[in-house]
Amino acid sequence: MIETQSSQLLPALFTHFDPQQRLYVLHLGPAMPETVDFFSGYRCKLFFVDLFTELPLVAEEGGPDLVQQFQGLLDFPEGTQFDICLCWDLLNFLDALAISALQEVLLPFLHRQSRIHCFAVHNPRVRPADRTYAIRQQNEFVVRERVEELPGYTGYGQGQLKDLLSGFKFERTVLRSDKRLEMLLNIKS
Amino acid sequence: MIGPSIVIKGTVSGDEDLLVQGRVEGSIDLGAHEVSVGQSGRVTADINANVVKIDGEVTGDISGNEKVVISKSGNVRGNIVAPRVTLEDGAIFKGSIDMDPGETVANKVSLASARSAEGPAEDLAGTPLGQKSG
Repeated sequence: MIETQSSQLLPALFTHFDPQQRLYVLHLGPAMPETVDFFSGYRCKLFFVDLFTELPLVAEEGGPDLVQQFQGLLDFPEGTQFDICLCWDLLNFLDALAISALQEVLLPFLHRQSRIHCFAVHNPRVRPADRTYAIRQQNEFVVRERVEELPGYTGYGQGQLKDLLSGFKFERTVLRSDKRLEMLLNIKS
Repeated sequence: MIGPSIVIKGTVSGDEDLLVQGRVEGSIDLGAHEVSVGQSGRVTADINANVVKIDGEVTGDISGNEKVVISKSGNVRGNIVAPRVTLEDGAIFKGSIDMDPGETVANKVSLASARSAEGPAEDLAGTPLGQKSG
């Protein structure tokens, strides 16, 4: 099932950037046709890293720790700085240690004007449907139900994520009709 | 055409379009033409062409002078540079896409806003065109 939903926060991802500049976008999910088509109108470089295919992200005994795992997955050219980072609902499938490791690895690739978009849940005890997301227009995204359930659901409310993402400032939050919390973050100066 | 049973290791270059249904390891350079990787095509190579269409598997960097299209059966791991890239529903892609469409949507919106802010055109006397002065 494909559904189109409006977003009050997606437009805010673009307001800080000069239309003439080249946008660097990190998409932490599957590459979707609408997102590629949307950004085709911009001078940009999109990086697609589908961390959902790596779930569950845990540190196993004798194996690489979580920071090393994320360093291997988020291996970008030196000097890369993302203007926009789209996490969608990834954080709800990472435990606290994984979120901390992700933050540690991601922060060096962000700058003061970077904007991060992600979802939390209104009630962590009620698991929403697993979905993929794509951007169709600046104020609209496309939602598809996932065929298989993703492993490692944890579910975080806004307060819990604020505690875990100590390197970020929560700029705006909107409660959506599907009981997800849509959030816009930037890095603490 | 490179047929399904053919394996090529090395550089593929030429002055015509190419359809790959077999395996290619190395590089494919058909700068002014079209390269298609069919559903049975397995390419581990960098591709440079005017138009690149992928229905099979490609591991490598892709440069399309005009466009790159990854169909629903396509599976690409690598970096793409092209003015326009199209991904069909079902396509799998991992890597980066570097796009510069020329006149961007953002520029078009910016220009339209600037023109409407200027107001209607006027003659030398300051009278809007289409209106009589006095």
